[in-house]
Amino acid sequence: MKNLTIKIIFTFISLFLVSCEPIATEFDEVEDAVMYSSSTIKSFESKKSIKVMTWNIRFGVARLRFFGDGCGDKVIMTKSEVITGLKGLAAKIMVEDPDILLLQEVDVQSKKTAYIDQAQWLLDNTDMNYGAYASMWQAQAILADGLGRVNTGNLILSKWKLENAERIQLPLRGDQDGLTKYFYLRRNVLKALVDMPDKKFYAVNTHLTAFATDDTKQKHITGFKDVLDNIIAEGKNFIAGGDLNELPPNALKTDYCLEDQCSNESYHSGGELEHKEGAYFTPEITWLQPFYNSYTPAISLSEYGNNESDHFTHSPDNNLQLDRKLDYLWTNTSWISGKTHQEATALSDHIPVTAIWEMK
Amino acid sequence: MIRNIIFVLCFSLVSAQWSSRSANLIDSGRKEIGLFSPIYIGLKNGSELSINKFILMPNIAIKQSRSAFGEWQMAQKFQLEYPTPGMKWFQSPFGMETGDPNMFALISKQFTIPQMVSIYGELIGTRGTENKGRVTISGGIALSLGEKISEDATIDLPIIYPRLSAYYNGVAIKVGGEYFRQTAEHWSYLIDYDMFLMPGGIGRYAFENKGAIIWSKSSKFRIMAGYKLIAGEYPFGSQAHLLPVFDIQFGW
Repeated sequence: MKNLTIKIIFTFISLFLVSCEPIATEFDEVEDAVMYSSSTIKSFESKKSIKVMTWNIRFGVARLRFFGDGCGDKVIMTKSEVITGLKGLAAKIMVEDPDILLLQEVDVQSKKTAYIDQAQWLLDNTDMNYGAYASMWQAQAILADGLGRVNTGNLILSKWKLENAERIQLPLRGDQDGLTKYFYLRRNVLKALVDMPDKKFYAVNTHLTAFATDDTKQKHITGFKDVLDNIIAEGKNFIAGGDLNELPPNALKTDYCLEDQCSNESYHSGGELEHKEGAYFTPEITWLQPFYNSYTPAISLSEYGNNESDHFTHSPDNNLQLDRKLDYLWTNTSWISGKTHQEATALSDHIPVTAIWEMK
Repeated sequence: MIRNIIFVLCFSLVSAQWSSRSANLIDSGRKEIGLFSPIYIGLKNGSELSINKFILMPNIAIKQSRSAFGEWQMAQKFQLEYPTPGMKWFQSPFGMETGDPNMFALISKQFTIPQMVSIYGELIGTRGTENKGRVTISGGIALSLGEKISEDATIDLPIIYPRLSAYYNGVAIKVGGEYFRQTAEHWSYLIDYDMFLMPGGIGRYAFENKGAIIWSKSSKFRIMAGYKLIAGEYPFGSQAHLLPVFDIQFGW
């Protein structure tokens, strides 16, 4: 009887010790990306010039008044709202017909977007064949605002197979307490080798911190550049892009605190709330200069400087007047042309940037 | 022989007085309270009352003996629950407005929580003894009265999702069983199993298995620790969880 009791106690203690499953997912420094493929694979030949698009798709909710990134009050979207948003995105993607698509803020079975796997949905509703996904925010439940289950991140879609896709962790925000940090976003760089017949190249996608008030954004910019520098050291070429949440060094306006202010907020009145998080770029305006020094942008600094408002890519919330550039495409070789798609302003709070990349 | 009879009687004195999910009732006048379990009160008319301690989700249940069915002791349980204040509290535990960091909110404030009441009826059968092994099986149905909540407002977490499903779907069915055995004077263990069926829900089922060891110092104090294994279907798909179980209970 005593032996039986000891065995039972031992069994229960063992189960107890292994039973703690984390609520929020933490990631290794480098780990494999999650791979996707379209339900119908289309055949594409090798190309000499490749069309690349970057787009922060705001998890397919277009300009609905989401609470988390503007002044809205809506947390959970209905399935039909999300499908409507995704259809708008897919239609634009079909018209532009990119070969490589770098997407940010893609939801994969998140409660706020009706648990739709947007990576799979976009593959199945466009001509793209393969996908690699890296989550930047994954939790069984975010215990705030009724957000619930969350999985959102970066996605590379390609007409050709993707290989060696890696999720590379960027530093966590340094200006948050431990509990908030545990449940908060884990930004990353997503890198994949595109297996185009006869010619392989890297596609790199990222979405850098928006709201950090310390040097986290600078660390993210450096981390992103390190990944690109390493590709060059490998002797390979890349096309890279994403939502860098940073202005070009020659941007005329660098303070958006008052433009982004919600009705219950007040900035520029002194004290701790002098500036709104994510709206005050003045101290960091030169942080992207190393990219312009080292790589070729789809929209050059001079082109941006000459026609600044034509290259704005973002306006928050339901404001359809674009007012800043946050989205970029880069390569270590050269672009034939670049375009900022301001006609797509209603489809997300960011608009796509495309460019034609000449294969070397 | 006499030693064995005394041994069995001792076991009974230690554990028979504790409430359980079996058809057995606690003694008249006895009261129990636990860290994570309801308040139990033994009533004079051969029934047992249980009251949820979470006052924002008032829940009262009464368990009554029925006549035996062969070797099976039988009981019935009726439960009434009013979840509306608790679910409203889930929307804003610290009273912040939506748009601010509404910490620990499990339901978005964009949803309206209507006035709801649920009734639950259960039939319980038990056979065997605690020292040789006691088996209990039970089955019941919950019905929600009043308006339903939007299915976009579900709390998609283990344990909570199936227990609130009636308020989203109107009905939930629960069947289960338990095996309880006392292995030494102060030690016992239990293994139980529950199946929730949620007709009309996006998540349609949940299976729960609990195993726990119990140390009973006397009829006044006991500690329980173990695991709960949950496999269920949620609006996002199927998922399994293994969670720790712990409780401290006092009786008098």
